[in-house]
Amino acid sequence: MSLVKKYMMRTLNSVCANENVAEVIKLMYKIEASVLPVVDKDNKFLGTIYSENILKNVIPEQYGVLKVHKLLPEVNQAVQNLQEIKSREIKEYMSPTKIAIRETDSMNNVAEIMLENEESRLYVVNHEEKLRGYISRADLLCYLLEMEEVEK
Amino acid sequence: MITTVTLNPAIDREFFVERDNINLNQYIYHEQNIKVTPGGRGLLSAINLKKLGYADVQNIGFVGGKQGLFFEKMVQEYGVTTNYVYTENEMRNNIFVIGKNPVTYTHYNDYTYRVEPNDIEVLLERFKRGIVDSDLVMIAGSVPEGINFDIYQKLIQICHQEGKEVYLHASGEELNRALKEEPQVVAPYFRHINKILDIRTVRFEDYYRVGRKLQEAGAVHAIVPYHNKQLLFDKRKVYILSAKNFRQRNLLGASDAYHAAFFNYIFRNGFDFVEANRHAGAAALAVAERKEIFLEDRAQVEENLARITIEEVEVDIDEFS
Repeated sequence: MSLVKKYMMRTLNSVCANENVAEVIKLMYKIEASVLPVVDKDNKFLGTIYSENILKNVIPEQYGVLKVHKLLPEVNQAVQNLQEIKSREIKEYMSPTKIAIRETDSMNNVAEIMLENEESRLYVVNHEEKLRGYISRADLLCYLLEMEEVEK
Repeated sequence: MITTVTLNPAIDREFFVERDNINLNQYIYHEQNIKVTPGGRGLLSAINLKKLGYADVQNIGFVGGKQGLFFEKMVQEYGVTTNYVYTENEMRNNIFVIGKNPVTYTHYNDYTYRVEPNDIEVLLERFKRGIVDSDLVMIAGSVPEGINFDIYQKLIQICHQEGKEVYLHASGEELNRALKEEPQVVAPYFRHINKILDIRTVRFEDYYRVGRKLQEAGAVHAIVPYHNKQLLFDKRKVYILSAKNFRQRNLLGASDAYHAAFFNYIFRNGFDFVEANRHAGAAALAVAERKEIFLEDRAQVEENLARITIEEVEVDIDEFS
């Protein structure tokens, strides 16, 4: 049975709930991730901050159906909105869902949880719910590819 | 968990050539002649600890720019848990050109990495929560530009607030300041010049004085490199560690293996300074006599134990003071 520990990324890149929106955006940019785990001061996993959570609060609703000539004013509006929220703590925008997996979980379960919850990343925690890393969709696909090759 | 700290990591790029000719355009066609590895004191010890069988080893520090992502991926290959603060500036690249005939070794040491004040604040916060589950903490290596000399002092303060013992492998002013926090073990190293704590080390007495001065300044125990040997400063006694029939083949990795094996011993057996150093010396020997820069496993340390001797040094302290 293939376990999570074989495929996971062992990284503790994370943010605390009291960090502000601007800091989180910068970190997402630097590490090329649109989702980050939120932890407390003891590294306990509290939830997830998605770039989408921030965008929803920055970009006006009609942004998606704008015509090109209207784009500039709307971007200006987004910049203004971001100006207003950038110093706020991310606990206001994070998703407190705590779907997490363990290193000793089977990769088969990971597929089910990931698809059921439409998550791009599942965070891995230890027995004390402390962050240990994550499994991405690419990791899952890599596992499935290996399984497919074994079955041949 | 064991935590190692590397504030100034590097991507080490080794090029193996037949002959290291200057002013000549050379081509390398075989991938075995180019080795790209993650480098930095602390990190290499973390990798050795993984090789010695530890499931949970963490490396905390800075990485920079787009190369930081590449670096982190390389570290992940060794199963080490990464906990890196990403900076805007690109991280270091060390270049090694190793000639075969004649045997030459050219090293370009990149000291251009710079971090900003905000990066340091983020690191201190990350460090606080990163060590909560650590049984041992090793702080090692140089620091990037932009960091004050008191950085190691601050990190050790945090460790002591959390009740963690610290092993410090440092040099220069960062070392001098850190001693005020009384780290459990201090292993200084030489950087650029043969000086530790502003003492130029030439004769045996100079090395001895360094060890004693480290202890006077706060180190509980000290390990001072003395040519191919080590001077071990326990709370009261001083020992000299040496290896029988030693033949050096490799310049890299021995000190990192030393520190990893030291940790390995005290993690498993409790704090016995002399015995931990005996195992550490055996590990360093295993690496120094082979081409590979990492230990293979624990058995390799055991195999070399019999070749390590540790003898008490009888010194008339007044003679040197």
